[in-house]
Amino acid sequence: MTSTEPVPGSGPETAPDDRPPSQGGRSALVEEGAGVVEVDPDHSGVHELSCAVTGAPIVIRYADVHKAFGTFKVLRGLNLAIPEGKITAIIGRSGTGKSVTIKHVMGLLRPDRGRIWVGPDELTAMPDRRLRAVRNRFGLVFQNAALFDSMTVFENVAFPLVEHGRDSRAQVRKKVGQLLAQVGLSGSDDKVPSELSGGMRKRVGLARALIRDPAFLFYDEPTTGLDPILAAAMDELIVQTQNARPGITSVVISHDMSAVLRTADKICMIVDGVVLHQGPPSYFVQSTDPLVRQFVEGNVDGPMKV
Amino acid sequence: MGIVRQVGRNTFGLIEEFGRVSRVTGLGVLNILLPPFRFRLIIRQMAFIGVQSIPIIALTSFFTGAVFTLQSFRAFSLFGAEGYVGGTVGISLAKELGPTLTGLLVAGRAGSAMAAEIGSMRVSEQIDALEAMAVDPINFLVKPRLVAAVLVTPLLTAIFVVVGVFGSWVVGTFVLGMDWPMFSVRLRQWVDWEDVGGGLLKGAVFGAIIAIVACYKGLYTTGGAKGVGIATTTSVVVASVTLLVSNYFMSALLP
Repeated sequence: MTSTEPVPGSGPETAPDDRPPSQGGRSALVEEGAGVVEVDPDHSGVHELSCAVTGAPIVIRYADVHKAFGTFKVLRGLNLAIPEGKITAIIGRSGTGKSVTIKHVMGLLRPDRGRIWVGPDELTAMPDRRLRAVRNRFGLVFQNAALFDSMTVFENVAFPLVEHGRDSRAQVRKKVGQLLAQVGLSGSDDKVPSELSGGMRKRVGLARALIRDPAFLFYDEPTTGLDPILAAAMDELIVQTQNARPGITSVVISHDMSAVLRTADKICMIVDGVVLHQGPPSYFVQSTDPLVRQFVEGNVDGPMKV
Repeated sequence: MGIVRQVGRNTFGLIEEFGRVSRVTGLGVLNILLPPFRFRLIIRQMAFIGVQSIPIIALTSFFTGAVFTLQSFRAFSLFGAEGYVGGTVGISLAKELGPTLTGLLVAGRAGSAMAAEIGSMRVSEQIDALEAMAVDPINFLVKPRLVAAVLVTPLLTAIFVVVGVFGSWVVGTFVLGMDWPMFSVRLRQWVDWEDVGGGLLKGAVFGAIIAIVACYKGLYTTGGAKGVGIATTTSVVVASVTLLVSNYFMSALLP
């Protein structure tokens, strides 16, 4: 699909997007801090060529995605554009559909309505067998690591390779060793997950997600349940991982605002199943929007009810 | 109104459940033919379901044969028919008691463990992790257990029958004072290979029932640790009842 490539000369998007009538008078783009920032909550995003926040080409795109479980509507017309080679953070309160958003792009859930593209491939029209092939390009770090507790650390990290790869035992051993060293867990090969602390499990989870050199790396709540020091170390590891692998696209789901401000290139805030605010960290630091302020400062009083 | 709604809900729930069980069963069987074949996992499951069940199977079958002999000897001696004890015990063990009791023991020991393991994998997102890594949970989790249970339950049934007859002989000989010809004549006359084969076939069917029920209950576990507990208990109950009901129909239909 040509629209995922940056068009020479066009630069970041400057034209206002389609807006629903209710948003009529409001500008889609506002000059703010580091540059042009979109604040239009319901901009369609479908025609966006490159990311207005980072300037990078858009590689994952959600257009008007709806998803309900029973009568509970989780996503209500989500529009989201994820830039290539950057760290994008998706923030929002617990239960606002952050994990559901990620599960859609991995093909673990299908939308009730709307479309999702990964590069040129539209997932929503894809049969299961091809979805699996797309999934091979993703790495996912689960909230609680989701390590296989019947396997050792080595077997866990090697698992995706052994399942799919044609690598020799020596190659697998070498790759696992390298990755465990990268996440700071050399020598833990023979431990089982129950012997590891929460922070160590997440590192093993990251190593497992990285072993097949994914093009896209998703983190589900990477710092939840860690003490502040371990959380900061995890953030550092996310940035290091990004810098060590040029071209990898990272998406971090979080409700830890301070962590996201440290690590992300672009932040998307989901409220009630739609992206209500997005921009670089500076936008969220400076914004005077009461919703954003409440979330950044963690106030009980404000537009969002407890 | 309330009743109508409740009946409707239960009916749909039943249809939904039937669909899920059919899906697990169909895909589980289909996956036997699909790579990767998972020989190592099958062997590991055979060791768990089979080898590790041998002590409890042997103990149970010995005393089943023993008590059956004790009671039938008392009754048969009223008619002076002590010579029929060996044959009666042998044929009951081979055709009915061997497969059903083996099935119930495997459901309690291995089926519960399967449901608990897969259920806790479900609630701790390990099954989502499998899918995220493009590994089919049916192929990885259900197939090895299904294949192993179908192969191993008949072997356990055979052990049950042999040890049960041994228990019967021990009680007959050392407690009741029967001699070898008295014990063995009817046993040889009555029990033929078809009876034993029918029992082993039942064992294979019971193995399939146990594995499918346990895997299904595990895969569809919801609600954390409590959910795992419920999945485990219901898998044993459902597998045991299904097994006993299907046993009646197999006995009625098999020659």
